[in-house]
Amino acid sequence: MQRIISFFRNIFSSVPEQQLSPEELRIAFRKRYANFRGLLTANNNALQAMADLERVYYGGSSYRMAFIRSKVTTILVNVFKMIRNLLAMSDGRYKELETIFERIGHDIDTIIDRKPILRQGPFILPLHEVNRQERDQAGEKMANIGEVAAIPGLIVPQGFVVTSSATRHFLTPELLAEIERRLQVIVPDNLEEMYKSCGEIQQMIRDSPLPPDLEELLYVHYARLERATTPHCRVALRSSALGEDTAGVSFAGLYRTVLNVDRDSLVAAYKEIIASKYGARAISYRRKRGYRHVDIEMCVGCLVMVDALVSGVTYSLDPGEEESEVIRINATAGIAKGVVDGTTITDLYLVSREKPHAVVYREMRQDQTASALTYGQVKKLAEAALLLEQHFGQPQDIEWSFDHQGTLYILQSRPMLKSRAAEPVEDTDQAARIEEGGSPILLGGICASSGIASGPVFRVGSTESLRQFPQGAVLVLEHPLPDWAPLLSRAAAVIAEHGSEAGHLATVSREFGIPALFGLAGAMAGLGDGEVVTVNATARAIYRGRREDLLRMQTVRRDVMAGSPVQRILTDLLQHIAPLNLSDPDSPQFKSTWCETLHDITRFCHEKSVSEMFNFGQIHHFDQAAAKRLVGKVPMEWWVIDLADGFRDDVHIEDKSIRIDDIVSVPMLAIWQGISAVPWAGPPPVSVRGFGSIIFQSTMRPELDPAVASALTVKNYFLISANFCNLSVRLGYHYAMIEAYLSDLLTESYVTFRFKGGAADLRRKAVRARLLADVLQHYDFRVELNSDSLLARLKKKPLDYLKQRLQILGYLTLHARQIDMVMNSPGEVNRYRDKFLADIEAMLAGDTPPILGESGHGGE
Amino acid sequence: MAENKKLLLVDDEADFRSIMGKYFSRRQIAFEMAGGCMEALDWLGRDEFDVVIMDVSMPGLDGLECMAEMQKIRSDLEIIILTGHASINAGLVGMKKGAFDYCLKPVDFDELLEKIILAREKAAARG
Repeated sequence: MQRIISFFRNIFSSVPEQQLSPEELRIAFRKRYANFRGLLTANNNALQAMADLERVYYGGSSYRMAFIRSKVTTILVNVFKMIRNLLAMSDGRYKELETIFERIGHDIDTIIDRKPILRQGPFILPLHEVNRQERDQAGEKMANIGEVAAIPGLIVPQGFVVTSSATRHFLTPELLAEIERRLQVIVPDNLEEMYKSCGEIQQMIRDSPLPPDLEELLYVHYARLERATTPHCRVALRSSALGEDTAGVSFAGLYRTVLNVDRDSLVAAYKEIIASKYGARAISYRRKRGYRHVDIEMCVGCLVMVDALVSGVTYSLDPGEEESEVIRINATAGIAKGVVDGTTITDLYLVSREKPHAVVYREMRQDQTASALTYGQVKKLAEAALLLEQHFGQPQDIEWSFDHQGTLYILQSRPMLKSRAAEPVEDTDQAARIEEGGSPILLGGICASSGIASGPVFRVGSTESLRQFPQGAVLVLEHPLPDWAPLLSRAAAVIAEHGSEAGHLATVSREFGIPALFGLAGAMAGLGDGEVVTVNATARAIYRGRREDLLRMQTVRRDVMAGSPVQRILTDLLQHIAPLNLSDPDSPQFKSTWCETLHDITRFCHEKSVSEMFNFGQIHHFDQAAAKRLVGKVPMEWWVIDLADGFRDDVHIEDKSIRIDDIVSVPMLAIWQGISAVPWAGPPPVSVRGFGSIIFQSTMRPELDPAVASALTVKNYFLISANFCNLSVRLGYHYAMIEAYLSDLLTESYVTFRFKGGAADLRRKAVRARLLADVLQHYDFRVELNSDSLLARLKKKPLDYLKQRLQILGYLTLHARQIDMVMNSPGEVNRYRDKFLADIEAMLAGDTPPILGESGHGGE
Repeated sequence: MAENKKLLLVDDEADFRSIMGKYFSRRQIAFEMAGGCMEALDWLGRDEFDVVIMDVSMPGLDGLECMAEMQKIRSDLEIIILTGHASINAGLVGMKKGAFDYCLKPVDFDELLEKIILAREKAAARG
């Protein structure tokens, strides 16, 4: 309350000090107005970019660093603009926002530029020296094979790993910079161009010479393999990428494997595998799953070829069999390559996981002359599979070969991917099921946060409702204002008649994962309190009752980016961007120093910019010569000052008078409609002097200096532009001010009304202010009342709605005159209230004259 | 708009200048063009400008350096910088150094026009 009192004291006690010439006033206004508009545009751009980031983050679709960079820059630039505009509007107040912005911007830069930390190690590691700890040198695949080599009872081919340190030695910074440059310009949608660019990048790598020290080392280690096995032994070169440590991301089959490599082709094969990092499929897969190229480093495993009799793949737990737990083996004659890439027909064995590992199912698909597995081999494979599963702690996907001597070699072992059970349900199924359970009661709107949820409807219209909002209810609103954010932790879903996915409440809904359907016309009227509904925000539909069939479809959507480096970056970035800590402008925490995120800064700047616009009318006083007098048959005396585009183009600047038909200011016309709707009945019966006696009244009061009174009573001023109007009415002893900015954009519009004073004693003035407050609250104004000082506000409402409210204010400004004199009788108060409401209703129903021009009424 | 001064486009790409020139002409925007910083500075001494559109990556003095030079001569110019995706951060850096706004290349003409209008409103508001 103290705050409100001091606020009013500031507003009304500080008499305008600056006396500006018409031109100075116009320039000052235009400057502030340009900044205000710039700020509002920047606000919308920043919020839209935030919504774009959150949409991809929570939507489970894939996105790239380039997208994040561009959106983050858009947000930063626009927030910066907002601060700059606000500082210009407020003569540098809130300067501390610059420091806060710099700090957040620095944190954001650090996150965006984050690179994997690379450790320098040896260029080549013998396989028996490799284990999980050497993952950053050997890559995932070879680190696993090194582990397998150390498991008693399991055998892997002899070999070595050319490490990531070697790769970095091979690919010079200049070469990488050129590759990066080419990757930047690849348009993923243009496949042909993409394949061409990828081919060129790969050729650049093939053409680059291997550093001599690395080449020599490669031959030394090959020679060791020859000594350990046979001279001129053939080797298989396999990719082993680094950074593919995410569960559910397979990277399977993206990179090259080169078989039957001899000493002469060793270097070429090595380069081929390094180059395969830049294959078209690999690039698009990384992009889709949220890996930057810098996140993946290629290592190369060099393993002696197994003279394979039969090869295949084993799943230690068959992903296709949900009922029974069995081991699945696919086998084919010769080497395993065809099994892995799916080009070879294989025999299938399902084997019990219990000893003695009986074959529970067998399907011979190959030519019967080819060798199938013996039971002994099956048993050996089953035992190896369970051993590997036990070692790695989860079901494994294993590549293997039996050589002609019957030795089992494990070629690869990696965690099995999850089954398809968690795949999202197709929309077509949804449509079919919806038919079964009855059609939606409401359809349409904008999906501000996807999902399906059910609960009883709770419509809220005032802050009082906040406390009554029940846990798990469906929140139904007219406008999705940030004020409602605290309810989201208790709401099952949110529905609003207005709004879009870019608003604050939409952001918070996504943050909480609460389905939100905005812009759904008729929601407040169409849904009754307590009525249970099911909201399918994704399909933009609302159904009667609790629809279990729909709710069951609310399976957790598989997030293709889950756990990826790019997603981790976005997760961290959003912490500095999206959360909204400053939601309530009346809270003591609504200060610049409480801004922790860019979203906070936008909210703060927006709120303060509206106050600064309002303050314009308060602190700038003007030379009376700037004004044109409104002429025609108009009640009382009104003067108009054009700040920008408020008059028709053909009005001459030298004219001393203007007609209402020459005005194009939308808010002024609406106010005027209210002023001219119902003729003023004249002063209340306590005064018998008729219209204009107000001046006489003032002279009757000894505490008022007649000279001052007459100066104050002379003029009522409209300061206007096309969308802006500030009306100051000083009628002897009461002061009224209406200010409005009307825009097609909901977030920009506002209407403010201030009223204070009167000729009567304080009690009667306060009763009049209370009467006005009652009427305004009836029409949804947010009202603050302190004694005889009244402040009523509206913002973020549609244009037509605000125009009507301005009419009401115009009406009240005229008709509240002098009634304070009779505000000592309850009967009179009620009589005026009833009259006001009846007049307003008639006026809004159109039962009044059109906008007053020449055919007006009243007199001066 | 009658009181508008000229617009100055600074970009080293001749093709781009030619496209933009046609665009400005169609909208009756009075303009001059410069292929580099020195030429642009030269123009400032010869004519009256209110808005400069400046490419950020140019040989010699780049857009941001050129902007600083311009601001020394004429502090009331509103500068809109053009950046590519690769140099997108330059947009923010430029604005911190006093640029009015930035546009991404390839340029969305409507967006640029809107920014020119706003820049001129700001210049006009300053009087």
